Amino acid sequence: MATWRQTDSPAPMRQSPAAPSLRARGDQVLVLLVLLAIWQGFSLAFGTYWAGSPWGVATRLTTGLLNGEILRHASYTLLEAVAGFLIGALPAAALPFALRRLPIVTAILDPFMVGGYGAPKLALAPLFILWFGIGIESKIALVAITVFFIVYFSALAGIRALDAKLVQMAQVMGASERDVARHIVFPGAVPYIFTGLRIAMPYSIGGAVIAELISANRGLGYLIQLGAMNFDTTGVFVALVATTCIVFLGNWSVNAVERRLLRWRPPPDLETQVGS
Amino acid sequence: MTSHEAAVDVPEPARSRWRPHVVVAGRIGLAVLLLIAWKVGADAAGPLYAADPVKVFERIVGDTLSGSLLRHIYVTLRLSAIGFAIGCFCGVALPFVLRRLPRLTRAVEPYIMASVGVPKYALVPLFILWFGIDDAPKLWLVGLLVFYPVFIAVFAGIRNVDRRLIAMARVVGASEAAISREVVWNSLLPFFFAALKIALPRAVSAAIIGEFLVGNEGLGYMIEHSRQSFDTTGVFTGVVVATALVLVINAVLERIDRRLNAWRPVERDMQV
Amino acid sequence: MAAPPLLEVRGLSKRFATRTGREPSPWVIQDLSFAVREGEFLTIIGPSGSGKTTLLNMLAQIDTASGGEVRFQAETAPISDPTRLSPGLSCRIGYVTQEDNLLPWRTTLQNVLFPLVVQRRLNDQTRARTEMLIRAVGLAGFESHYPHELSGGMRKRASLIRTLVYDPPVILMDEPFGALDAQTRTQLQEDLLRLWSLGRKTIVFVTHDIAEAIALGDRTLVLSKPPARIAGEHTNPIARPRDVSGIMTHPQFAALYRAIRVEVQ
Repeated sequence: MATWRQTDSPAPMRQSPAAPSLRARGDQVLVLLVLLAIWQGFSLAFGTYWAGSPWGVATRLTTGLLNGEILRHASYTLLEAVAGFLIGALPAAALPFALRRLPIVTAILDPFMVGGYGAPKLALAPLFILWFGIGIESKIALVAITVFFIVYFSALAGIRALDAKLVQMAQVMGASERDVARHIVFPGAVPYIFTGLRIAMPYSIGGAVIAELISANRGLGYLIQLGAMNFDTTGVFVALVATTCIVFLGNWSVNAVERRLLRWRPPPDLETQVGS
Repeated sequence: MTSHEAAVDVPEPARSRWRPHVVVAGRIGLAVLLLIAWKVGADAAGPLYAADPVKVFERIVGDTLSGSLLRHIYVTLRLSAIGFAIGCFCGVALPFVLRRLPRLTRAVEPYIMASVGVPKYALVPLFILWFGIDDAPKLWLVGLLVFYPVFIAVFAGIRNVDRRLIAMARVVGASEAAISREVVWNSLLPFFFAALKIALPRAVSAAIIGEFLVGNEGLGYMIEHSRQSFDTTGVFTGVVVATALVLVINAVLERIDRRLNAWRPVERDMQV
Repeated sequence: MAAPPLLEVRGLSKRFATRTGREPSPWVIQDLSFAVREGEFLTIIGPSGSGKTTLLNMLAQIDTASGGEVRFQAETAPISDPTRLSPGLSCRIGYVTQEDNLLPWRTTLQNVLFPLVVQRRLNDQTRARTEMLIRAVGLAGFESHYPHELSGGMRKRASLIRTLVYDPPVILMDEPFGALDAQTRTQLQEDLLRLWSLGRKTIVFVTHDIAEAIALGDRTLVLSKPPARIAGEHTNPIARPRDVSGIMTHPQFAALYRAIRVEVQ
C-alpha cells in the first residue's frame, strides 16, 4: 500500500543539522532587516495598497491585539481547528486498535480508507457548508474528516510495527491479551500516532481557514476575506500573521506533548525530516 | 537463530485459503451498502441537503454529453498542470542555485522553513488583490503548493548526498556542473519522485479550491456555484467528479511509481 | 530415591512448516530426550544453527513441536497444538532471551517490575525483592533510566533480573551473555551464580561457549548438528563455589573441556 507508506516509520522530530554559527545568525538578522527595509521602501514608493508597510502592519496588529478583536477571531479559528482535530484524530487512532484482532475487517476497509486518504477532503468544503451552515460546525466537520484519514494510517502503521518478540516475552511472563494491548501494542504505536498528529496539525488549521474563506462571519479566514474585499491589504497581512502564529503554536504544542510522552525514544541519527 | 513461527499467532491454513475471497466479497458488500445508504439518506434528507444518486448519475451523463463537464475538467487540469510545472521547476532549480551559495543558504534557511507554516490557501485573497480575478491567483496557489514539497525534498536530498561521491568526482576532475548533474541529481531522484507523487494530486486539489474562491470555470467553480444556487445535485456531481479525478490520478501515479521502482532492491521512503 | 525430574523431554522433534509445500523441510531437532532435576544448573552446548533457540522456544511453549513430549512436574504439556500453547506455562517457566527485549518505553525499574504488574503480584514484599535484585547486579542508581540510556551489559542485567524477580521454578536462558565483552560477561556470570546459589532454581542455560558451560553448569549436554539430538552428556566435577574468572586454571577443567570439544566437533 504505497499511498500511505509515507507515514510508515515514526519519523523523528525535525532536527537542525547543526547549531548555526554566530556569523550565520548575524547573516539571518541581516536578511531580516534587509527584507523589512525593502518592504518599507516599497510601501513608501508605491503606496500601501499592494503590501501595506511593516510599520502599518505592526501598529494594526498591536491595536487589534489590544482591543481583543484579533484574539476573538483567532480563538474562533483555533476552536474549529482543535475541535475538528480531536473529533477526527481520536476515532482514527482508536479504530486500528479496535480492529487489531479482526484483520479481515481492516483488509476490507483498506481500499475505502486509501480512497478517503487520497480524495481531496478540502474540496468538500462547500458541501459541508451546505449541510451545516456557515457556522462553526461545517469547519469542524471539514477539519475532522481531513485529520481522520491521516491519523488512521499512522495508527495503523503503529499497530503493524508491533515487535512480536516483545509480545512473546510478555506472554511468557503471564500477560493477558489486555495486558499486551495496554503495555505493548499501545505504547509502541504512540510514536507513529504522533507522527500522524504532527502531519495533520497544519491541515487542521488550513482546513478551518479555507472553510472560513469560502463562507463565514467569524474567524481569521473571515478577517482575511474581509480585508481583501475592502482592499485593506494591511488588514489581510495582520490576519495572515495571526494565522501563521497559530500554526506555529499548534506545531509547538504537538511537539511539546510528543517530547514529554516520548522521552523514552532513543535520539535519532542525523536525519532530515521534511514536513509539508 | 530466531523461531519462524510464533505459534500463538499462526492462523489455520484452512482459514487462509478462503480469506482473499472473503475480503473481496466484504469490499463489494461494503460498497453496495454505502450506495444504498446514500440513496436512503438522500430520500430522508430531502433534495436540499442531499442529492439522489440516480440524479447525480444523470447529471454527470448529461453534462458530459453537453460538454460542460469536460470543459470544467479541462480548465481545472490545465490550471493544475501549469501551476505544477512552475512550482516544480522552481522547486528543483532553487536548491541547485542555493547549493552554490552556502552562506546565503544558511542566512535564508530559517525564513524558508518558517514560511512553510503559512497556510498557502490563506494567501488566495491576497493574490486576488495583487493579481486580479483571472487565473493568476490560482496559478500562484498551485505553484506554491507544489513548490514547497518539491523544494524541501530536493533541498534535503542535496544536503544528504554522499560527500564521498562528490569528493571522488572532484578528484576525477569533474566540473561543478557535471557534479551537479551526475552525482547530486541521481542521488536525489527517488526523493524527488516521492515529492512529485504528493505534489501532483495536491496541484489538482489546489486548483479546485482556488476555483472556490475566484473564477467562473472549472470543477471548483462548478461545486461552489451550485452551492450558492442551492443546486445540491450540482454540488454532489462536482464532488463526485473531483474525487474520482484525484483518485484516478493517484492510482496512475502509483502504477508509474511501481513500474519505475521495480528494479530497486531497497525501497527508499522519504517523509515528505 | 531420587525425586522425579522437574522437566523432562522425550523424543522431542521439530521441523518448520514448508513454504511452498513441496519438499518437507529438514528436521531441526529429532528425537531429543533429556531430563532436568530440580535445583540443577544444566548447560547445553551446540554449534550455531543447531536449534538451541528452537529447543528453548519449545520448552517455553512459545513454539510448537512436531513430535515428542515435554513433561513439567510430571504433567505433559500440550506442545503440538498451537491453540493450546501456554507460553511460560503459567509463569512456571521463565525465559531470558538472547535479545534483552526490554520495553523501550519503561524505565529500568518499571521494566523489572513488569512481570509483577502483569501477574498482579506487586506489593511491598515484591518491591523489596526487586530493589535487592537491582542492587545485586549493580544497577542501583539507574532505576529511572530508559533502555536506550543503558549500555548493552546493563540492559542484559535488567533483562536477567526481570525474570528472576517473579521467581519461576525453571529458568531458560538463551546465550544471555553472548553479545557482551569478556569482562562484563565474567562479571555477569559471577552475579548469576551468586543469585542462583541463594535460591537454587532450576536453570537450563544454552551457550556456544564451552568454558562458560563448564564454569556455570552442574551438567553439560552437547547437541549435535541438525537434526539435533544429544551427542553427549557430561557431569561437571568441579566443586562449588566456583571461581568463574579463573575456571580455566582449575585442574579438572582441561579434561572436561577436551571431552566436550570433541563432541562439538
